[in-house]
Amino acid sequence: MSRLAIAMDIGTSGLRAQALDLSSRDIISTVITTRHPLPGANVIDHIHFALEIGLETANRIIIQAVNRIILELHINTEKVVRLAVCGNPIQLSLFQGIEIRDLAFAGKRKLESLGVVSPEREAVITATRNIPGLNLPAGCDVIIPPSVCHEIGADSLAMIIQTGMLEKDETSLATDYGTNAEMALLHQGRVFTGSTAAGPALEGQQISCGMLAVPGAVSDLNSDISCQRLIVLDSEMIPAEGPLVDMSDGSVIDAGSGVRPIGITGTGTLAIVLQAMESGLILLPCIRTMDSRLHLTGDIFFTEDDLMNAGKAIGSVRAGHITLCREAGIGLDDIRTAYMSGASGTYVDPVKAQKLGMVPPRVKTVFQVGNTSLSMARDLVFDLSKLDLMSSLADKLREHHCLFAASDTFKKVFILELSYWTEGMPISMYRKFLKKYGFPDLPPPGATPEIVHTVKRDIDDLGRMGLTIIPDIGGKVRATMEGCTACMNCVEECPENAITIIQEADSAAVTLDQSLCSGVACRRCERVCPHKCFDLSRFFCITSEELATPWE
Amino acid sequence: MKHSPNSSRIFTRYDINIEVARPKIRDISEDKLLQKVADCVVKGDEEAIESAVKEALKTRSPLKVTNEGLIAGMKEVSRLWDEGIYFLPQVILSSDTMIAGIDLCEDKMGKAVKKKPKVVTHTAEGDIHDIGQVIVNALLNAAGFDVINLGADVPVDEVVEACKLHNPVMLTGTALMTTTMTAFPKIAEKLKELGLNIPFVCGGGAVSEEYVTSFDLGIWGKEASQAPGMAEDALNGLSWWEMRTKWNG
Amino acid sequence: MKLSSSMAYGSSAEMMFGFARKPVETKQGLTIGGGYVIPEIVPHPRPGSEKTIKTLLREFERANFDALERCVMVGHPHLVVENEHVYQMTANPGWGGEIAAQSVRQTLEFKDKYGLKSAYRSTIADIRKPDMVNLRDSEPTSKVLESFNECAKYSDIISIESLGGKEISDYSLIRNDITGLLFAQAVLGGRDMEWLWSQIVKIAKKHDCIAGGDTDCAQANTAMFMAGGFLSKDIPHTLAALSRAISAGRTLVAYECGATGPGKDCAYENPVIKAITGVPISAEGKTSACAHPDLCGNVMGAVCDLWSNEAVEYNNMFGGSTSAVFAEMLGYDTAAMNSAISLGYQKEYQACLVNSDRYRGPHGFMLCPDNAWLIGKAVVDNNESMYTRARAAADKCGKLMLGDPLLRMTAFEKESLLSYMKEMQSLPDKEEDFIDLCLSKYGKVKGFKPASYGL
Ligand code: B12
Ligand code: SF4
Ligand code: SF4
Repeated sequence: MSRLAIAMDIGTSGLRAQALDLSSRDIISTVITTRHPLPGANVIDHIHFALEIGLETANRIIIQAVNRIILELHINTEKVVRLAVCGNPIQLSLFQGIEIRDLAFAGKRKLESLGVVSPEREAVITATRNIPGLNLPAGCDVIIPPSVCHEIGADSLAMIIQTGMLEKDETSLATDYGTNAEMALLHQGRVFTGSTAAGPALEGQQISCGMLAVPGAVSDLNSDISCQRLIVLDSEMIPAEGPLVDMSDGSVIDAGSGVRPIGITGTGTLAIVLQAMESGLILLPCIRTMDSRLHLTGDIFFTEDDLMNAGKAIGSVRAGHITLCREAGIGLDDIRTAYMSGASGTYVDPVKAQKLGMVPPRVKTVFQVGNTSLSMARDLVFDLSKLDLMSSLADKLREHHCLFAASDTFKKVFILELSYWTEGMPISMYRKFLKKYGFPDLPPPGATPEIVHTVKRDIDDLGRMGLTIIPDIGGKVRATMEGCTACMNCVEECPENAITIIQEADSAAVTLDQSLCSGVACRRCERVCPHKCFDLSRFFCITSEELATPWE
Repeated sequence: MKHSPNSSRIFTRYDINIEVARPKIRDISEDKLLQKVADCVVKGDEEAIESAVKEALKTRSPLKVTNEGLIAGMKEVSRLWDEGIYFLPQVILSSDTMIAGIDLCEDKMGKAVKKKPKVVTHTAEGDIHDIGQVIVNALLNAAGFDVINLGADVPVDEVVEACKLHNPVMLTGTALMTTTMTAFPKIAEKLKELGLNIPFVCGGGAVSEEYVTSFDLGIWGKEASQAPGMAEDALNGLSWWEMRTKWNG
Repeated sequence: MKLSSSMAYGSSAEMMFGFARKPVETKQGLTIGGGYVIPEIVPHPRPGSEKTIKTLLREFERANFDALERCVMVGHPHLVVENEHVYQMTANPGWGGEIAAQSVRQTLEFKDKYGLKSAYRSTIADIRKPDMVNLRDSEPTSKVLESFNECAKYSDIISIESLGGKEISDYSLIRNDITGLLFAQAVLGGRDMEWLWSQIVKIAKKHDCIAGGDTDCAQANTAMFMAGGFLSKDIPHTLAALSRAISAGRTLVAYECGATGPGKDCAYENPVIKAITGVPISAEGKTSACAHPDLCGNVMGAVCDLWSNEAVEYNNMFGGSTSAVFAEMLGYDTAAMNSAISLGYQKEYQACLVNSDRYRGPHGFMLCPDNAWLIGKAVVDNNESMYTRARAAADKCGKLMLGDPLLRMTAFEKESLLSYMKEMQSLPDKEEDFIDLCLSKYGKVKGFKPASYGL
């Protein structure tokens, strides 16, 4: 009888898992979610939620989501003997249900005043029973890899290991182009790491028409005789040719063959910014069309605010790269090889990314390596010794970790970026300042690098049973609010359309979609309720029985 | 055909006038030595400022060097930034240069130069995102305020203590994280308890107007560039409530 | 069609308002360009009135009557009434015809009753949208031609503001793309004009009506309006000026096909046209501020034969209806010009008009008679093709602007101008090569159909 295992990546913007056959080493099936089950769009929102509503509740919601994913893998769970979970320290801690306050407040002074003791976050192999609520056989092992520090976790270790960069003796840089943009610079045997909190723009969020990489998402643009050919992800998540449009007004020249576009991914965002800058439609910080927007088709557009958000994200990545180079005492042009990981790092056109400044200007080779977190989890279930490898690497990385929060270099460079993206400061002045500060120079891109796709898509092999996408991972929870008059104020106020109200015989039932809600930092619904009866926590502080199968 | 030698009564080229007025860095002082000091500030020349100030101090009073050289130079920088000719890094550099110069003048005088009143600035407890604050500091300095910079990750009580000690006309707070902005209402509460009704301008990516105006003393700061204007208002005796009515809503 | 190869005037000094080398006489004996300037009033129907032919007839009846009546009231000796079609008047060719018949009757009544000399111009709406239909073969195309037929039966003068090339010029304008403008205005616009105007001229002849002229309103005026005044920064005024220079070669095609003038009021390129052809032109400036602002309010009067208000919506003002008020203003403007002529002060008066705007902005500068003549000269000296003459005109215009230090430009406008000049220099010399280049460059612009232009 074959023994099965599950590899899982808990990402801030969604979860991904694969079922594996331990003997044949085959991938059986793949499941991804289009959102994270906790309300909010970034780790701080998730943490904030855990702090306010309770760590236990946050932990339970994540476990519920994991259970649902396991269900959707369509395997006989009785046979599962191993689950490896990879992700950043925050997600792994929420999964484990351990201390998170040290992750919530990076400021030391605050932590001291709270008396928080950071847990070790070392590698563990534990049994299912130690993770309450997990729907896997009692004897199944749960493998949790170690973290380096609060901002560099197992996901970054995965990136460094899976790219294979350590095995080559050359100056190289690996970057996970996600919300937290972890990066590692290898130079003469030393690894310098950092994390920039670029923000969700690189994953297509906080952009008016932005979305994660799902079928129908615009992931790239190619300029075609003064128009733009949209590249849209098809149902298999493979980029295909979509409509040809004129971005100045969104007119469609030909409809193309592929899927109808429904939104813009992070990589699409980058492509828009670059193509519009090159064609003169963007003259930083302005969009020079009649309505100050770019249009991809009739209903997909891109605003100047989007441009600013994208600029900050791009800028924080470049600022991070420059900071790491300064730490290592090298120039940006000394970097020979770049590894791009994460969903954005896989779908983005490296040449475009380089022109925007997100890939060092003089690299000879760019490797696009896909989701390394998931492949790391896969390796872990097949080979437990990889866990030791991760632990020893974690020790090594602690030597040269650069806390950008404490770096004067980062701060100065990021201000240059802000000025470049939001004030239109010319790049020549940017370079003048770098020189004045004695920082590494920022030369323009050199010859086009060789590009090596180690994967065809973010998750290369979807398994024989293929991909299942869960669009509604958050539970829909119903509650009756005492005193509610069904005035609909909350429904109208909610910026995420997370609330619905059904008028019943003598009361009104309020339903909230947990994964749509942007979290406890918002609470606009509560503030707008004329009877002060809306209580957001009611939708989350419920017993596990109530939430038993919220998706049914 | 005859051509009119002078068109000033026929039409005005506002476009050109605006442009001509623009790139010119205006002369600040007729006094050569002070002009040199001002020049260093305008150019953000941190190396040359020392010798320029020392040279000027030989024959001019520290007060004169400060007011007519350093601060006047910085005023010009603010103007250039307002008009979109200067960029943020230049403003920050100039502001640093000016402060270096003022330090020299204060050394010579043996006491602090009298500037405009104090403004206390800080980044919220638990938050290290201080770039917004760095910009606010530079702009307040540029406008001549005495900036008490508490830095980042400042505990609530420390902010309150600083207000007690310095009695500033205005307090600013920056928070980029939704978990840290909750320090602001706490600070406001404590200040009120102490009877310190200091206008408290809160800004940063995380905070919304709605949030800041939900507690007393709070005024929402949308753009760093508003800080000097707000401080002027506070200086002119506007209460937090009047300031909120003016700047928010 | 032969492209013009000579100038009607030996120099700009010979050009004067009120005088055209080839004056035109209307059926009622009004001579245009025969030694005096005539006001041309253009009232526009209020929104809503276009719903039925009845409401439209009523609206124009009032508007035209008010203008004619005001001329009598204040003693203006002559008037041209122009009605620009709203969409429905061309889409239902019978409507335009009925309104023309009614309007001409009105002018005759005023002639009979008071001896007021007047004429009526119908301007057909170009309802062929270049990005939607084949300009040469579509339902709207036949409506346009039918409309000309209907109106020519009654009107003294027929005109149009044709749209050929607009799909590419709109695209190019926001991209500051001079190559695209050359292609759109000269190559495409010129070809469409040739196709259209040879037919209009035939229709006019058939009905003994005057084939007035055309305008590059759709393109050069769009550029001019977008460049705006001294507060707008999106499109450099220098680009708008080049677009204007290019438009001369396009508008010229109407006269090369046999149109005789008077040219259309909103063709700001008309001074160039007059320099080349000697036909009378209509122009507008300060008294068309009701329609749009411009930076050449007086200089446009320097060589005009008709003086227009472009368009004013029919509404009430303290001084009467807009139609009456603007007819009065235009009439006084022209009375002053005609006084200058009769006193022999016309040169001095012209100098006043020119000096008002010569250095106000690039547009005013290039449209001064001397510069307009030089641009016209570049057009006729480079008449190998519509493209070559347009490029030469733009190049000349650019050189004139760069060459006169009194014309001041902002750094942005000057830099942009230098880059356009450089770009134009790099373009192929032969029209065929230029067309090849542009077909590959603009082939995919939305709605662009080479077939519309016989390409
Ligand atoms: C740069 C950056 C960093 C740098 C900060 C460097 C530094 N010294 O400041 C580094 C890389 C160190 C960093 C670290 C982290 N960051 Co960070 N970071 C950013 C980033 C990219 C830009 C923020 C910024 O500086 N903006 C520019 C400044 C100028 O804007 P601003 O402060 O808002 O100020 C403007 C106005 O608000 C106003 N203003 C501000 N203050 C005041 C005051 C007054 C008086 C007035 C009038 C106006 C005013 O004026 C300014 C404009 O004119 C954002 C993402 C983004 N795209 O915005 C994330 C972001 C703020 N970071 C985030 C996070 C989560 C973190 C980390 C916790 C990540 C981690 N996992 O470790 C860490 C730790 C931070 C901590 N605990 O304090 C999140 C916060 C999410 C949330 N909901 O709270 C963001 C939004 C990214 C994201 N979505 O994930 N980050
Ligand atoms: S309004 Fe309420 S339900 Fe809607 S996003 Fe905000 S907190 Fe969530
Ligand atoms: S705002 Fe309050 S009363 Fe109104 S529908 Fe929502 S919960 Fe009910």
